[in-house]
Amino acid sequence: MLAMLPVLVVHGGAGNVPRQRAELSCAGVREAARAGYALLRSGRSAMDAVVEAVTLLENNPAFNAGCGSVLNEHGGVEMDALVMDGRTLASGAVSAVRRIANPVQLARLVMEKTQHLCLTAEGASKFARAVGVPEVPEETLITDYARKRWQRNLQPGSNPVECQMGKMGTVGAVAVDSEGNVACATSTGGMLNKMEGRVGDTPCVGCGGYADNLLGAVSPTGHGEAIMKVTLSRLILFYMEQGKTAADASDQALAYMWERVQGLAGVVVVDPRGGWAARFNSLQMAWAAAQNGQLHYGLGKGEDFTLPLQDQPAAATQNLEQQHAASTHNLEQQHAASTHNLEQQ
Amino acid sequence: MCDCEGAPLPSMQPAVKPVVVVHGGAWAIPVGMSEACANGVKTAAVGAFRVLKRGGTALDAVETAVRALEDDPAFDAGRGSVLNAGGEVELDAVVMDGRTLAAGAVSCVRNIANPVTLARAVMEKTDHVMLTDRGANLFADSVGVATVPSDALVTEHEREEWERHQQYSRGVKSLFNSRWDHDTVGAVALDCHGDVACATSTGGIRNKMVGRVGDSPIIGCGGYADNRVGAVSCTGHGESIMKVTLASRILFHIEQGRSPSEAVESCLQYMAERVKGGAGSSQ
Repeated sequence: MLAMLPVLVVHGGAGNVPRQRAELSCAGVREAARAGYALLRSGRSAMDAVVEAVTLLENNPAFNAGCGSVLNEHGGVEMDALVMDGRTLASGAVSAVRRIANPVQLARLVMEKTQHLCLTAEGASKFARAVGVPEVPEETLITDYARKRWQRNLQPGSNPVECQMGKMGTVGAVAVDSEGNVACATSTGGMLNKMEGRVGDTPCVGCGGYADNLLGAVSPTGHGEAIMKVTLSRLILFYMEQGKTAADASDQALAYMWERVQGLAGVVVVDPRGGWAARFNSLQMAWAAAQNGQLHYGLGKGEDFTLPLQDQPAAATQNLEQQHAASTHNLEQQHAASTHNLEQQ
Repeated sequence: MCDCEGAPLPSMQPAVKPVVVVHGGAWAIPVGMSEACANGVKTAAVGAFRVLKRGGTALDAVETAVRALEDDPAFDAGRGSVLNAGGEVELDAVVMDGRTLAAGAVSCVRNIANPVTLARAVMEKTDHVMLTDRGANLFADSVGVATVPSDALVTEHEREEWERHQQYSRGVKSLFNSRWDHDTVGAVALDCHGDVACATSTGGIRNKMVGRVGDSPIIGCGGYADNRVGAVSCTGHGESIMKVTLASRILFHIEQGRSPSEAVESCLQYMAERVKGGAGSSQ
């Protein structure tokens, strides 16, 4: 009999990941899934696990969240994050916050230490100071890659929206712990060259995430404005409420979003019994899932690679790395093929 | 009013009877103020209905209604808004167009007399859906929406209330539950073309933390409009409304075949049970 619980699924953003960044993204989501799952196995809550997984992704410069965030039109970093606890529907969010290394942790503090759900911009910074969350210099959040992309998009004739698809790397996680509690967390630097003060779907409950012990949990990534218009996370859970599986509900909601507002996105979803899904209508989405001693991961359509997750002795790790290399090769070939496809279209 | 699917008909032969519903907040209204509030929502509804009668869009109608309520100092939106913990006015608003699901919102914006109009500008003039804080004010400057002095939005009554609350500092939740606070305004409309729209605007909760964003500017919480289903605008304890994404939930129930009043009834009941929140909505 399979142990369905606990389970954790993470994503590292939907879009069209440039080839040289594909392996970084895949390694990052695998690492985050492992760390979150280890917490769940040691008896910690779903909320602890999703915050841990997203913290690692924020700290990883390969993703558009925390360090590695994209820059807004003025070259600044403004980040959004959300957490939600399926036990009580308690939720916390920050929007357009600056100079914070881990917005997801600040969002959790909003949930736990205030009577509010969302704090924005300067008010969020003020709260961070009040609860002793340190401010970091903005420079420490900015990578050369982010700055290069920002400069490229300042040039006349550039097309930020198209370039956007290269890295819509919002990150997120959903989990069910051994007690059957669900939680979600999402964090992002937003859209490349966005207007100052732009808030996307991420910190909006029901759009950038939702968790309810009775139904499941969702964390999305993709074109924020489209996700908001259809309140994507809530929509998926409505479909699950009607008896659909996580995968079917996700596919139906993504198809609906495409039909209504022509949006591209991806989602990771869990139900309280441990069923999970990682689905997307964009070209790619880096994702990883940990359940029953197995790590699943993928990037392109239809991919589902697996690795064992049991306590890993040195030899096994080496083995893993070889498999890594092999699957990377695979990914790159598939990526080349799908890019080719896209060009033909 | 929720069954409004189908191609827009020529406005000369309106097949759909236009309708607008406005609200001026869910709270226990002190006796001295109830008349002003009743007059305020009446005036707003009459103004918006005039827009619809002339063949105007649902979007124009809800904006007209909410502007009137924002301008009326009896309501917690625009002029008459409550003060936050820092003694300042910070405003949230959303509009949504049921034809295309286009939406616009501002959160935590300062010195703007009609946030609902700024939210509409975000929808119509940017690629984004929501702008917050200083960014929303920068955008207002760039599109020529005038800023007003902070004092222009603060009533004497509110200044006194705020000072009273500073003396007896109490938690926000107890403030709301004691029902001494007034609240969010909003409107929903159906025009003669069969299109729906919603708008919601608020000054939030008195003594809220600086930067607090409530349900109002969050799509699916403070409002939602979809031609295929209907439109909702919510008011009440923002944090509870957000936890159950009240507007989305009501429309989902309507989509399942319930009448608007059944849907609202069951969703408010659900909210009371799950998160112990009080609210009202119009749809």
